[in-house]
Amino acid sequence: MRITQRAVALTSLQGLNRNLDAVGKLQQQLTSGRLISQPSDSPTGTNRAMQTRFDQAAVAQQQRNIGDAKSWLAQTDSTLREMLDTTRRVRDLTVQGMNTGATSDTSAQALATEVASLREGLLSLANRNISGRPLFGGVTPGTKAYDATGAYVGQAGPPVTRRVSDTETVRVDTTGPDAFGPAGNDLFAVVDRIATDVLANPTALATHLDDLDAVMKTMLTAVADVGSRAARVDREEQVNADRALTLSSQLAETENIDLPNTIMRLQMQQVGYEAALAATAKALSPTLLDYLR
Amino acid sequence: MSTFSSLNAATTALWAQRRALDVTGQNIANVNTEGYSRQRVDLQALGGSVVPAFFSTSNGVGSGVSADEVLRIRDAFLEGRGHTEHANSARLTVENETYELVQQAFREPGDTGLQSLLSEMWSGWEDVANQPQDEAARGQVLKRLETLVGGIHFSQASLGSQWTQSREALDVLVADVNAAAASIADLNKAIQRATQSGLPANDLSDQRDLLVMKLADQVGATVRHQDDGVLDVIVGGMTLVAGSTSATFATAGTYTVDGVTADPPRIVTGAGGYTVRAGGTAEGQLNSLTTIIPSYRNALDATAVNLAASLNAAHAAGFDLNGVAGTPLLGSGSPPITAASLTVLITDPKLIAASSVGPTAGVPALDHGNADAIAQLRKSTTGVDAGYRKMIVELGVQAAVAGRNLDIQSVISTQVDAARESVAGVNIDEEMTNMLSFQHAYSAAGRLITAIDETLDKLINGTGIVGR
Repeated sequence: MRITQRAVALTSLQGLNRNLDAVGKLQQQLTSGRLISQPSDSPTGTNRAMQTRFDQAAVAQQQRNIGDAKSWLAQTDSTLREMLDTTRRVRDLTVQGMNTGATSDTSAQALATEVASLREGLLSLANRNISGRPLFGGVTPGTKAYDATGAYVGQAGPPVTRRVSDTETVRVDTTGPDAFGPAGNDLFAVVDRIATDVLANPTALATHLDDLDAVMKTMLTAVADVGSRAARVDREEQVNADRALTLSSQLAETENIDLPNTIMRLQMQQVGYEAALAATAKALSPTLLDYLR
Repeated sequence: MSTFSSLNAATTALWAQRRALDVTGQNIANVNTEGYSRQRVDLQALGGSVVPAFFSTSNGVGSGVSADEVLRIRDAFLEGRGHTEHANSARLTVENETYELVQQAFREPGDTGLQSLLSEMWSGWEDVANQPQDEAARGQVLKRLETLVGGIHFSQASLGSQWTQSREALDVLVADVNAAAASIADLNKAIQRATQSGLPANDLSDQRDLLVMKLADQVGATVRHQDDGVLDVIVGGMTLVAGSTSATFATAGTYTVDGVTADPPRIVTGAGGYTVRAGGTAEGQLNSLTTIIPSYRNALDATAVNLAASLNAAHAAGFDLNGVAGTPLLGSGSPPITAASLTVLITDPKLIAASSVGPTAGVPALDHGNADAIAQLRKSTTGVDAGYRKMIVELGVQAAVAGRNLDIQSVISTQVDAARESVAGVNIDEEMTNMLSFQHAYSAAGRLITAIDETLDKLINGTGIVGR
């Protein structure tokens, strides 16, 4: 076959361009630190990267949801505990009040006043808010779960939940009736009756004490319920943190370069490129002219 | 056979070798000229008279050498192959560039693409679900929605401006093609005249072939050889240059990207307005204008419609802070909804329908069920995220295929170019050897003249002097 200098030059140039292109690509990967800078670099990798980023966004949001759920549950738990302490004091006072032989009118009066003021304290605890919403108010748009008379003004509706994973939600609220007994026979009504009957009808106190015990049982159940939900949220938080780690390492595997590997490849490519340059320089220069006298 | 015929033969030899040396010089001078075809002197022995007759003076020995014709060495089949491969190369280059630009318009995978804007928007809904009473949380989801809509507008607009640029480039290309066609017709005329009057037209032919190769690149032109060295240029079955006359092409079709389906851009003949099936760069540009860019704009439109439909349907299922059922979130100033016209219709954060239950006895519920339900739309397999991801992966596959095709084609084109070059190009070694042989032949012819001169000298001055 006839070969001309220009044909040799053309094919050499193509080979050199190819080599330089490969060097450039590796250099770009090294400087950006990324294996995939546009979808055509690896369509399947792009899909994986996009899916991973998508999951990462969800996991980050769920982390915030979990934080919010924890603060709800912690608030509810501490409020219920404080209220239980107060209720125990009411129970003590009631037992004291039942002991009619030892109670003078004055001390009965004092008992009634203390019970009434404890009831006020219980009411204000039951109306405790978290970022503007009453803890025990259900879905009420107002700021109170119980009004001054002790009537429930919360609104029944769907439970307040937080999304802790793609598939799971955890209930974070406890409605007033769930925590303090059904309307008419709830904590505030019972304590109100005690406050009245310490003076008016001490014999009825025994019944009220039974009612109060029933209410306390309900409250204890609610505390246990909140506790178990908090434990579940804690578990989800752990799972979520693990998932976030897995996802970020997965994204790094898909998108980021393997540094030693890429540097080695760049070195090899550079050696190849230099060899090609040297070979081209040797192949292009000689003609017959060099050997004619 | 005359006494001086050998002198005459030697003279033709001197003349022919000098001509051959001239041509060698021309070849060496143009060793790096683009489109130059090497030339060779066609040396032919001048025979004696071969017609038998009385008193025929020929003794069978020829009377020298003729060097009338200078040939241009070029392989017409390789040239034809070159035209086809150059056209393919040019088309694939344009398509590959288009895909690169489309990919840039979407900026995936990364933290700035539509996917991350979508994810942020869905997260915003979960924040509303966490704090349905908080106007700040409600406000931020509206802002995120506006950012997402802005991102969709941006991508759509950058595809649109890419389309407009390609459309303008097509006009420039066609004007260039018409100018080249006119030049080829002029050159054809000059070549025809030169050939008919027996003058060499090799350099004109080189110029014309260079222009034809340019047309092959631009519109996928092919040639048909005619008498007297004339070439006809044919594009997609239409004759662009016939001998010394050239036709013109023009572009037709819309100049706005939205009119592509109704009036697609195309190349037509200047007279008659018949559609030309062009190849080369023009084919690549037409593919971008009528298929590639519109398909991604349509996909983005579908994404916008899907987003609006799913969000609006989910939003209508809920109730806002006033206990009123949700109104449409997304819409467009002038229906139908497209990626360019998509707007957020709600500006008051109170109107976000986060609650899944209506008011009880006139009191609106502070529920978050609907906000959570909207946030979960992201997981839908027929939803916006899945559809968008699918589109990006398809874009990646198509762009990768286009890039690979271009790689393969550029190898083929380079090989064909090298093959053409190896036939038509100048080899310096060869020219050197030729130069040496012509030089030697020239010296030998000179020596022949000296020899005859000496012989004649002997005959004239050295004979007939016996006894002098």
